[in-house]
Amino acid sequence: MTLPKAKEADIALLLEGTYPYVSGGVASWIHQIIQAYPEYRFALIFIGSRADDYEGLRYQLPPNVVHIEEHYLYEHLQANSIPSPRAGHSAAFAKAQVLMDALGRHAKGRTSTDEVIDAIRTVAKEIMPGGQIPLDDFLYSEGAWELIRQSYEDHCTDPSFVDYFWTVRIMFQPLWIMARIAQNMLPVRMVHSASTGYAGFLGAMVHDTRGIPFVLSEHGIYTKERQIDLLKSDWIRDNRNIFQRNASEVSHFRKMWISLFEWMGRYCYAAANPIVALYEANRQRQINDGAPEERTLNIPNGIRIAQFAGNRRPEGTPVPPVICLLGRVVPIKDIKTLIRAMRRVVNQCPQAEAWIVGPADEDELYAQECRNLAESLGLQRHVQFLGFQKTTDILPKAGVLVLSSISEALPLVVLEAYAAGIPVVTTDVGSCRQLVEGLEGADKALGPSGRVVGIADPRALADAMLELLTDSTAWQAASRSGIARVEQFYTDTRMFDSYRHIYEDALAFQKEAR
Amino acid sequence: MAGIGFELRRLLRKNTLSSLVQTYAYASVIGSGPWVFSIVGILLMGLLSVGLVVPPFLVTQFQTSVTYLVAFSLIWTGLAQLAFTRFISDRLFEKREEMVLPNLHGLLLLVLGSAALIGVLACFTVLSGQSMLYRMLMLAGFSLLCGIWILTVLLSGMKRYKAITVLFAVSYTLIVLISLGLRYYGLEGLLGSFVLGHLLLFCGMWVLVLREFNPHRRLIAFDFLQSKWLYGSLVLTGFLYNLGIWADKLMFWAYPDTSQAIIGGLRASLIYDIPVFLAYLSIIPGMAVFLVRIETDFVEYYDKFFSAVRQGGSLEEIDSMRDEMAYSIQSGLGEIAKIQTLAVLVTFVAGPAILRLLGISELYLPLLHVQVVGAALQVGLMAVLNVFFYLDERRIVVWLCVELLVLNILLTALSLQFGAAFYGYGFAGAMLITLCTGLHMLSRELGRLEYKTFMLQ
Repeated sequence: MTLPKAKEADIALLLEGTYPYVSGGVASWIHQIIQAYPEYRFALIFIGSRADDYEGLRYQLPPNVVHIEEHYLYEHLQANSIPSPRAGHSAAFAKAQVLMDALGRHAKGRTSTDEVIDAIRTVAKEIMPGGQIPLDDFLYSEGAWELIRQSYEDHCTDPSFVDYFWTVRIMFQPLWIMARIAQNMLPVRMVHSASTGYAGFLGAMVHDTRGIPFVLSEHGIYTKERQIDLLKSDWIRDNRNIFQRNASEVSHFRKMWISLFEWMGRYCYAAANPIVALYEANRQRQINDGAPEERTLNIPNGIRIAQFAGNRRPEGTPVPPVICLLGRVVPIKDIKTLIRAMRRVVNQCPQAEAWIVGPADEDELYAQECRNLAESLGLQRHVQFLGFQKTTDILPKAGVLVLSSISEALPLVVLEAYAAGIPVVTTDVGSCRQLVEGLEGADKALGPSGRVVGIADPRALADAMLELLTDSTAWQAASRSGIARVEQFYTDTRMFDSYRHIYEDALAFQKEAR
Repeated sequence: MAGIGFELRRLLRKNTLSSLVQTYAYASVIGSGPWVFSIVGILLMGLLSVGLVVPPFLVTQFQTSVTYLVAFSLIWTGLAQLAFTRFISDRLFEKREEMVLPNLHGLLLLVLGSAALIGVLACFTVLSGQSMLYRMLMLAGFSLLCGIWILTVLLSGMKRYKAITVLFAVSYTLIVLISLGLRYYGLEGLLGSFVLGHLLLFCGMWVLVLREFNPHRRLIAFDFLQSKWLYGSLVLTGFLYNLGIWADKLMFWAYPDTSQAIIGGLRASLIYDIPVFLAYLSIIPGMAVFLVRIETDFVEYYDKFFSAVRQGGSLEEIDSMRDEMAYSIQSGLGEIAKIQTLAVLVTFVAGPAILRLLGISELYLPLLHVQVVGAALQVGLMAVLNVFFYLDERRIVVWLCVELLVLNILLTALSLQFGAAFYGYGFAGAMLITLCTGLHMLSRELGRLEYKTFMLQ
């Protein structure tokens, strides 16, 4: 199919490995945002690894998507024919050397982050098409070769030179692709990136060269997620032998990647305004990673209340002893802790039941282990695996919603439970404490809308669930504050309004597309 | 001569004095065998015919005819030699053995056809007026030699060095033996035995190839002409190198002061040619050292360098392998220089006696000296070119061959102008300058070997 192309647009969305070619939480959110503002023309700048890694559009494109371009980071790693030797621009390599020295001094705590950011900005200008450091010089020149040799000798603790060489190439070559995109992108009035990383780097470059507003929204924290990815990934090699290896030290190539993403993040934070987090804990992390506090803010995801509000139980109705967990049966949700907690709950409240609602086919081994655990604890009748069900059908039958996950961001099921008037018991991950206890001020004044317990603590989890199921006053109070909280702070209209303000401010500043 | 190093290294590994002697003896036979046999064979036929072939001038006519056949067949097949070697070794590396035989046949068809055409043309121009039999034998000899060079190249590509050497030895022994009977028929008799022996050589080589690659379905193919498999630079190099080597000889044959008409349009320079042949015999030890040093030490570090690059060696390791490569070239050239100095000294001492034996005036002793030095420099140049082939710097090799050809022509022309005292300096000077250029380029290329290996891909 042919993708829409336009001469100009209002907002360019910079999308690294997500919408419209990859589905998921962030992608659904972007789809929602585009549809919420039919008055703006959106351009999608998609950045992927290789074209083969994606299979077509995952979403029906809204009509206000007027332009899509796609770029791939790892498509052309090798030249088609043997390149000719060249010396390279010595003044340009001097600038690169300044940056490398600044990075070295920063690592020793002898220089400020701002100075390094300035050096990055200087180099970023030179890698733009027509600058002093064209990609070909980075790839093929003797000057670049000397820099790579030098940095290997000075810093690399991994013996394999060929791996170091390719790590350097694969890490930095995409920056020239970003520079080319920044140069050739259609005229827009603002850019909005959904992550830091390469997309965030691109956003900052566009901001620096065109002077248009740059908004950053982070759902996860890219730097943190890439760190987790990198620490797990096998494709980054570690060639140290048993004598060279120190268990406490991560491989040099991983450190290189982590450091690259940290600096791309800092460069991006230095340019972005505002820097939007999904919830408070993430905003704190952004500040910690170098985002200026005065530019950060939270815009939580929101839901539509109406579809849940209709089925709320009238006050005074007995609370059904049904504990509901909505989520896939996978280790990250830590279903086993809930099952262990259920033994304690059932001991004290024999009629209690736990419904685990969600597909179990993603990790069948884990699902089977969960069933076996329930059986060995004698809970066959008390723990039921219901598979996928519609949230609106299941919530009215539940007494308490539970989330035993070891990792979450801003779980929509909690908001949906609130909208249905159901209190929640969650582990203290992601935004959960904020959702249950409220942020400082008016939010906190509403009172807790459930209970927060530590992760992997079946006893605490059981006690919290029992409290809400058996103490109807506590249940009623939590239910009331949940409804109030979601209606005041977590509606989709509130989220759309917040972004509308951001877009309006940015577009008012920048009237002309450029 | 890639691949011979393996066998040499096996011999060297025993690490005894006799294994060392064995290695160098083997290397000298392999490295110099074919042309030593031909030079000695031709000279021997001449010596054995003294007094029996009348008039003695017929022997000179025979030797001149053969020299022309060898020179022009080498130059003509030079176009195909290197390019075809590369084609064969690439296909063998890809394990596509079935392509070898049909393509050999295709190339032989082209070479024999073109050689016959050139031969026929020559028969009616430079050789017009000669006896029919002589002209037919020349035509046959030229075509056969062209075919033999191609087969030699192929068998070298298959690393059958021993077989090549044995076949040459057997054929030339036969040629000398047959000539004992046929020499009474004069020039045609001698030439007849030459052609007969080479027919046997050609057939022997061909049978060897047939046995190696069982013929099936396709018998003739011209895949080697496809542009993806044909390296123009190698075609050019083979031709220019052979022409460069022979240019001074051709000029001495053509220049009236240094040559005389021998038979038909064929001229020879008796004063120049014999010292040249003798000089080439003096490089046997140099060739042996070249093979042992370049094909064992250099290739060993060359392999280590690239495996360090590929298998994640540290930069330090890669650097040191590169330095070892450079050092092995340095010491290889150094040893060639030493052994050739010895050879030069030997010819200086034994020169007068040899010239006297061959009936050449001792006035030409200085020429022999210069030629010996020139031939020694040629060994050095071959070593350098060989290293460039390993580094796949085909463009540099082409330019060096161009330089050699141009310099050889220019300097030889100058030496002819300046007179007899300068004869031979043209060739030696051209070799010296080209070798120096080659060494300079080599040190530059080795200096940026890592840069080129990593960055230019």
